[in-house]
Amino acid sequence: MYGWIWRHLPGPAPVRALIALLLVLGVVYVLFQYVFPWAEPLLPFGNVTVDQGNGG
Amino acid sequence: MGTAIRGGRRRGRLGTALGLLGELLITLGLVLALFVGYSLWWTDVVADRAAGRAGDRLRQTWSAPAAPPGGTTGAAPAPQYAAGDGVGFLHVPAFGRDDQTLIRMGTTAEVLDEGVAGVYEEPYRSAMPWDAEGNFALAAHRDGHGAKFHDLDKLAVGDPVVVETKDAWYVYRVAGTLPQTSKYDVGVVAPVPEGSPFTGPGRYLTLTTCTPVYTSRYRMAVWAQLVRVDPVDAKRTPPPELR
Repeated sequence: MYGWIWRHLPGPAPVRALIALLLVLGVVYVLFQYVFPWAEPLLPFGNVTVDQGNGG
Repeated sequence: MGTAIRGGRRRGRLGTALGLLGELLITLGLVLALFVGYSLWWTDVVADRAAGRAGDRLRQTWSAPAAPPGGTTGAAPAPQYAAGDGVGFLHVPAFGRDDQTLIRMGTTAEVLDEGVAGVYEEPYRSAMPWDAEGNFALAAHRDGHGAKFHDLDKLAVGDPVVVETKDAWYVYRVAGTLPQTSKYDVGVVAPVPEGSPFTGPGRYLTLTTCTPVYTSRYRMAVWAQLVRVDPVDAKRTPPPELR
């Protein structure tokens, strides 16, 4: 997978490394901005209230 | 068998599949590590920023309609608050000097995730500090999203807890703690909290969060009782407990 991506990036090695870095940053951004905020309420780590089981 | 021996590469389909699986597992591990970083660091950054802005806004609204010098006492007409409204600030010296947590109405995830202490509106509607009697019950995150009650277990009987509103400093003293209870134990935020040292109606404060740290398995509660109400002076001099 990573090898495939590397082979399909254009340009010489330094350019490829730069593009790869940008890709990684893009993925991290999408994870932090969209994926994790969506996933977090589904996971049982952040409920701090007492209630009848609705979470909080 | 269709083993490809081209250009010196000797990898069967199985090898390719295993390699892909390995890369996916590594990726999964990295994503989970990132999620830990997100939960324990990034949500704090975001929440502290939001709470800081909201706190500044609240203080601005306080100072906007020039308060009469000398200040009014805690007996001022009680304002009405809607969900999400800023009420004041919670100061817990045991959490560190200058500890300050914005207090807002409501305990939904949207409210609590902004790095504030939320006022319980259900299952029991909290009494406000200026009410004649009742329980002012608050919840906040133990980890992530500001982690405002991370050190709630450090509070011991006798420690002061101060609620600052526009017009008054409400000084409470911790009277009892409950290190661990079920998340269904709603009695801990009742007007006269169940399991607390209190036996009759009074002016109480309850702080709840989850325990042990990094999980939401159980809840923890700290109960305090109002001992004094200091009016806010022109310079907002904090009460001796905060100096």
